[in-house]
Amino acid sequence: MGVLRMGYAHIRVTDMAEAKKHYVDSLGMKPMEEGDGKAYFKGWDEWDHHSVVLEEGGVGAVKFGFKVEKLEDLERFENQGKAFGDCVVERFSKGDNLEVGDGVRFTTPGEHVIEIYHEMTLVGNDVGFHNPEAWPRHEYGMAVPALDHALLVCQDPTLSERFFKEVLDFYPTERVQPELESEQCMATWLSAGQKIHDIAILGGPVQGKLHHFAFQLEDWSKVLRAADIISMDDISLDIGPTRHGITRGETIYFFDPAGNRNEVFAGGYRAYPDRPCVVWTPDQLAKGIFYHDRVLNEAFTTVWT
Amino acid sequence: MSVLTVLPDNERVLVKPGETILAALTASGFGYRIGCRRGGCAVCKVDLRDGSVTYDHPVADTVLTSEEVAAGTVLSCRAVPDGDITIELRDERLRVTSSLLRALRPVPPTKTKE
Repeated sequence: MGVLRMGYAHIRVTDMAEAKKHYVDSLGMKPMEEGDGKAYFKGWDEWDHHSVVLEEGGVGAVKFGFKVEKLEDLERFENQGKAFGDCVVERFSKGDNLEVGDGVRFTTPGEHVIEIYHEMTLVGNDVGFHNPEAWPRHEYGMAVPALDHALLVCQDPTLSERFFKEVLDFYPTERVQPELESEQCMATWLSAGQKIHDIAILGGPVQGKLHHFAFQLEDWSKVLRAADIISMDDISLDIGPTRHGITRGETIYFFDPAGNRNEVFAGGYRAYPDRPCVVWTPDQLAKGIFYHDRVLNEAFTTVWT
Repeated sequence: MSVLTVLPDNERVLVKPGETILAALTASGFGYRIGCRRGGCAVCKVDLRDGSVTYDHPVADTVLTSEEVAAGTVLSCRAVPDGDITIELRDERLRVTSSLLRALRPVPPTKTKE
């Protein structure tokens, strides 16, 4: 099946001590390892070694890693990258990323760095795989189970969408288009399997920027509980709790202490490659983004790191 | 307490020790263009016209370059005034977002010229 999921997000933060407090105490991630100016974290239901890498110095995304099902997928996607042409393709070796095997690194037309890999050290989740409990008894903070997706900002979202479709076999589930019949998109949500999105791309005046990276929670009540923790910990709130028309997700957005946007969300629906792609047009875009308010706030479409 | 003067409308607000420009304006019932409030997105930049500021957190040089600092650009969500300062907003005016908050924080008296 090719790409399994987004396996890691490697993010820059200005102050590592504050960032660790945010991702561990507020989001409830587990610290896995630290050294060389980087710190590694995982959610309670993730079995690979880590899903978030923080690096001190600057803001924004360094890169994202997607795990592939089979070793031979690496070569197949590498060849598809070379055939696509409009991206940089290079190999990287086991050990270049802590606890990660060999892989292929792409620099997309939107100047985002996307890595694919087949191996990461298996450490197990917090409930185990033999007669497991439903959730860890001593979960902490928002208790994010796992990394889910990211929204990237670049100047030509139609071209970056083509990269994910033609190189990594993603398919769009929802698109914002200038009109109903159009090849062009202003934003696009793409799936590699049955999640409603594994990556999303938003058009903007900049290249290589991060709008947000997100964690999926079990249900709407967990999103509301996350909102309480955002207040308790004086986290900068962006918007929510609310629902998106796009993806039907129930969501809240906030910023980490370096200003990188995080999302925790629930809901959505199951994606299939043969399900007709949902199209949103500018006349209903505000409802698509914020289904209840139906008003676009300026920050949501202009703030990124 | 120090005084923050905001151009172009010459609004004056009190700043408590340690408060950022954003915190003082929010507590005084004023709004302006802001983004992440955490120094990452660069949306809340203003121009320093008088006085100086100190940053209460490290700021990424991709967000605020040394050339911008030299030219008087201030990242208002992280900048703490060193005493009385004057800033100017870029292509916008302060908006009253809470008349209650505005009434609750006393407005500093206008200095008479000596």
